[in-house]
Amino acid sequence: MEPVAGQRISVEVNGERQERDVEVRRLLVHFLRDDLDLTGTHVGCDTGNCGACTVIVDGMAVKSCMMLAVQADGSSVQTIEGLAPDDELHALQQAFSSFHALQCGYCTPGMLMSAKHLLDHNPEPTEGEIRRAIQGNICRCTGYVNIVEAISAAAKGEVK
Amino acid sequence: MSETTAAPDKPITVEEQEVAPGFIGVNVPRKEDRRLVQGEGVFVDDVKRHGMAYVHFVRSPYAHAAITRIDVSRALELDGVYGTLIGEEVAAETDPFFQIAPPPGGDLKDYALAVGRVRHVGEPVVAVAAATRELARDAADLVEVDYEPLETVLDPEKAADPGTALLHDEVPRNTIWHGNFDYGDYDAALAEADKVVRIKRLHFHRFSSTPLETSGAVVEYNRGTGQWTIHSNNQFPGFAIIMMGPALKVGMDKLRFVSQDIGGGFGNKICTHVQLVAMCLLARKLNRAVNWTEWRTDQHTANSHGNERVFLDVEVPVKADGTLLGFKTRMIDDCGAYTRYEPLGCIIWAQVTPGCYRWRHVRVDFTQVCTNKSPCGPNRGYSRMQHLWFTERIIDIVARELELDPVEIRKRNYIRADEMPYETPNGCVYDSGDYARCLDEALKLVGYESIEEKRRDAESRGKLLGFGIGSTLDSGTNNFGQSTLVNPELQFSGNNEVATVKLDIFGEIVVTLGTTPQGQSHETTAAQVVADILHVSPGDVTVRAGHDSYWNSHAGFSGTYASQFAVTGLGAVKGATDKLAGEIKQIGAAVLGADSTDEVELEGGFVRRKDNPEAALPFMACGAIVNANNAVLPLELREITLNCRYVYVPPHQLPDKERKYGNLTLTYANQIHACVVEVDPETGVYEIVDYGAVDDCGTRINPQIVEGQVQGAAAQSIGAATHETFLYDEDGNLLTPNFYDYHVPHALDMPPLRTASIESPSPFTPLGAKGMGEGGGAGLSAVASALQDALRGSGKPIVSDSSNPYHRVWELLRNPEQSRELVEVENR
Amino acid sequence: MLLAPVEYARPSSLDEAVRLLGAYDGARALAGGQTLTNVMKARAAAPDVLVDLNDLAELRAISRSGDGGLELGAMVTLSELIRSPEVGEARPILAGVASQIADVQVRNRGTIGGNICSNDPTNHLPPVVAALGATMTIRGEDGERTIGAEEFFLGVYMTAVQPGELLTRIAIPPAEGERDAFASVPIGKDGTCIVNAAATVRDGQARIALGCVAAVPLLVTSAAEEAAVRQAVQDAQLDPPSDVHASADYRRHLAAVVAVRAVQEATA
Repeated sequence: MEPVAGQRISVEVNGERQERDVEVRRLLVHFLRDDLDLTGTHVGCDTGNCGACTVIVDGMAVKSCMMLAVQADGSSVQTIEGLAPDDELHALQQAFSSFHALQCGYCTPGMLMSAKHLLDHNPEPTEGEIRRAIQGNICRCTGYVNIVEAISAAAKGEVK
Repeated sequence: MSETTAAPDKPITVEEQEVAPGFIGVNVPRKEDRRLVQGEGVFVDDVKRHGMAYVHFVRSPYAHAAITRIDVSRALELDGVYGTLIGEEVAAETDPFFQIAPPPGGDLKDYALAVGRVRHVGEPVVAVAAATRELARDAADLVEVDYEPLETVLDPEKAADPGTALLHDEVPRNTIWHGNFDYGDYDAALAEADKVVRIKRLHFHRFSSTPLETSGAVVEYNRGTGQWTIHSNNQFPGFAIIMMGPALKVGMDKLRFVSQDIGGGFGNKICTHVQLVAMCLLARKLNRAVNWTEWRTDQHTANSHGNERVFLDVEVPVKADGTLLGFKTRMIDDCGAYTRYEPLGCIIWAQVTPGCYRWRHVRVDFTQVCTNKSPCGPNRGYSRMQHLWFTERIIDIVARELELDPVEIRKRNYIRADEMPYETPNGCVYDSGDYARCLDEALKLVGYESIEEKRRDAESRGKLLGFGIGSTLDSGTNNFGQSTLVNPELQFSGNNEVATVKLDIFGEIVVTLGTTPQGQSHETTAAQVVADILHVSPGDVTVRAGHDSYWNSHAGFSGTYASQFAVTGLGAVKGATDKLAGEIKQIGAAVLGADSTDEVELEGGFVRRKDNPEAALPFMACGAIVNANNAVLPLELREITLNCRYVYVPPHQLPDKERKYGNLTLTYANQIHACVVEVDPETGVYEIVDYGAVDDCGTRINPQIVEGQVQGAAAQSIGAATHETFLYDEDGNLLTPNFYDYHVPHALDMPPLRTASIESPSPFTPLGAKGMGEGGGAGLSAVASALQDALRGSGKPIVSDSSNPYHRVWELLRNPEQSRELVEVENR
Repeated sequence: MLLAPVEYARPSSLDEAVRLLGAYDGARALAGGQTLTNVMKARAAAPDVLVDLNDLAELRAISRSGDGGLELGAMVTLSELIRSPEVGEARPILAGVASQIADVQVRNRGTIGGNICSNDPTNHLPPVVAALGATMTIRGEDGERTIGAEEFFLGVYMTAVQPGELLTRIAIPPAEGERDAFASVPIGKDGTCIVNAAATVRDGQARIALGCVAAVPLLVTSAAEEAAVRQAVQDAQLDPPSDVHASADYRRHLAAVVAVRAVQEATA
């Protein structure tokens, strides 16, 4: 094997196999947004601090701006568009709306994916555990109060 | 903060308002949510056009330098690069941006790219457009720019000194604006005082709300029509168009602004007209759509900072009973390298001259200077936040020095509810409010009655507990006539906002706003107002998402800024809907055989006779008649269109330029915050252990949305008070250009945040509502106040800065005498 | 923000990884990417070749060694450290400190090897491995060598891992009555450290590694009580950097405080 500057990658995204030729230097977030037109995942910073780009890769929440697209070759990726089928809403999405856990909505996809990852691994989180789970997701609009409430309610199945 | 943070209590509504039938005051679920939680929002970088070019700006590495050479040839040779734009081209094709300041401050030249000289690190010098984002970035590295560094000007207190290097040759002493404000009779107040408290210096620091979505645009140019379509997240298109049209030497209608979803603005997306002109030129030059997405680093370095302001030689006359009579001070405002919304900040503070207090005698010497730092923009709380922090520091320091109770002294000095509407010394009118009551509620939220017990408990754990108060106002619905108080030649005054509400052929109710929401829930609250008037449900009302100047539902001041939507935007919606309701009733009366519109009413999507509800016409029929069957109408009703455009114009008057006097804003929401901190005396590290925020914004259209704004603004001001600061090194490099070093609150950083609200309806607005998005700056004062209280047993240091990271607290602990040198009390 | 052109290979064997690192001059190992990606975005470094280690299962192993200590593959992620029962039994301090690093997303990809090899003075794990007396095994084309922290950490962003080499595992000695603790002053919760200190205490003697105050973790030893610790830190004559978060003076002051607190926690 020798190093390459570009590669054909095959990634399962939201349950569908996607094959594309990519430059090795392309970040996963730009692959999702620009190559696959999945613009729900957002870019908010240059240093991997804000978490707006959070997706789930092979069951783990990761920041897609901190991974190369080629690193996802052979992996399974879930983005916000795949959180619920068709036009349905996942309990978390419903809870975010009921509890006014979003204002501008820019951090929301990343926030929801981190929340999903939390509930997948810890179905009964305490408030502290919820805050830890979204510690890597910056929100400038809400102060996190309603986000924490929404995730807690979704975990308990108490969605209005 | 800690793992054991208690869940915040449910928000408290202090007074149960009688719930009128209808949708005002109801927590209607948001219309915006569905698409946003699904990731189906359309933010500017989501917009794609065939053959689109991606733009990267080559930016200055120097704070101040002459540009001696630019060579783009190597960049142009790179495969996939479509073209470039340099300052020389911009100077040839555009006029410098209109300046608000009078001469000589207003003589400076500001273009879309640096022309001949750079004046702050990060200033765009060359724009490169290429087929992919990565290529544009690569090509930028191939652009060669030579600079000759010049002396930097970084200290606003020295910027106007003789001999200091000039940023702009046209602007002597780097002084953009200077003015004196003299209200009441300060000399008499001083003579009357029992004590005079003097504070040498207070400092309000540079920071901003750093919206998570950076600025950006996709710009297209139609060669056939000369029309630009600007998809951008600019939040004040009215202002952008007024700036860009003359610069590009085209009519305003050639600049179509389109946006759907915007990821936060907080005032930081107002001055992007500068970069947008570069984009327009490139789109025209290259004959292809161009995409610019600002990098986080660029937003921090070069977009929009909140104003830094210094308050010098502060003098406060005080009576023995703790009544403050006013203040005198010299203010120096640092607006950065260029004036894009400035020098409006030089007058906007005067909307809240006495803060929340009944102070009648004020003397201010105000200077605004330019420095080699990022240009300032109207960051959330614009210019009022700086001033309100100043008034809160005054009362807090006076209380400390005269050993007066911080709660009592505020209540003694607060404007009282029974004095509302209250005219301030410079003619502004506070419409309504009950600050003392808000304070009482804030005290309850943090358990103030047991504060001494909490203090002892903290002591037993080796911590110093401090309690602090922050009072703030949110003045909203500007009278742009205040601009004439900084430049008498300007022809701006009043304000406006537009809405169009129509009934379509199949009875669909469609609302078009003129605003550009960035999370303020305009679609939802507009639908509530319409539903309330037409007696339908908000679900029956379609509100178009976003803004498009082609919709012709905008006016000169359209946009979303300055805490005014609830008044101007919803005022326009109300006006348009009232008109529509009237027209529906006219149709209904005619068709149902009633003698006048008083005999019919609207209910559940029908217009019906009051005396016989069975005689009813569905909205759909009205729409059909007017649009497709209008011969059934009597001639005198054929001017009805069921398409009602309304321009809300607030009842502003022209201010008095001579006296700098007049009502500068229509409404005054307020927030009172209370804060409890625990300081580790060994390290200066502190934690906010409890926090309460009480707001009063008059009639709340959607209480949950108001509460969300309060929580978010409190989080921002807590962040600004603790870690957020735009600091520069001695070469003018920004030391906090990203979220790694510029630490904003994350979920674990938040204290328990408790909220409550009261409603003092405004007598001046269509719905009794007031704009309220900017009132949360109280956190800066509450934290400063709490820290000063916590440290009172350690030498009584004075907190004189709005930025209080751990190292500053440690300095105050280590060396309280140094801060005490700032304060002096004269007993008379 | 965007990477410069670069080449990439994802080897499936350790030997192949070492070969690739040796064969290309500008080759860098790509571990969790939580530091290197940022460095490349800022174009502060522009490697020619990235050798992605994420397929190397043998670098992800966690096991107890014969003497009761821990063998950690360099590619063990911070999340794996936190979840590992072996780590929890043998040396829980590693899990405790790992869980203070940044956030879940970073911990899901970031590795112990990456945290150590990047040797940012504000990182959490270099002082921890230094205090624990860990040894690092480095493999190159001519074989392996195992060295201690003092030889491993050489300077800011610099370790003994040379071009063409790879850190493969970290061996943590058994606790054997040692008590470990970590104290820090971060910017915000779980943020960047202004200062940090890792301490292990045995039989009244403390071994303390101070982070953030020098190019590499600074080891001091003293009796495990406050006055002695303070004296030892003073004797070390710290010359810490100044930056936007702390002056040199403040850092120096805080270093002594966290050293004492780490020792106090270890002896509690």
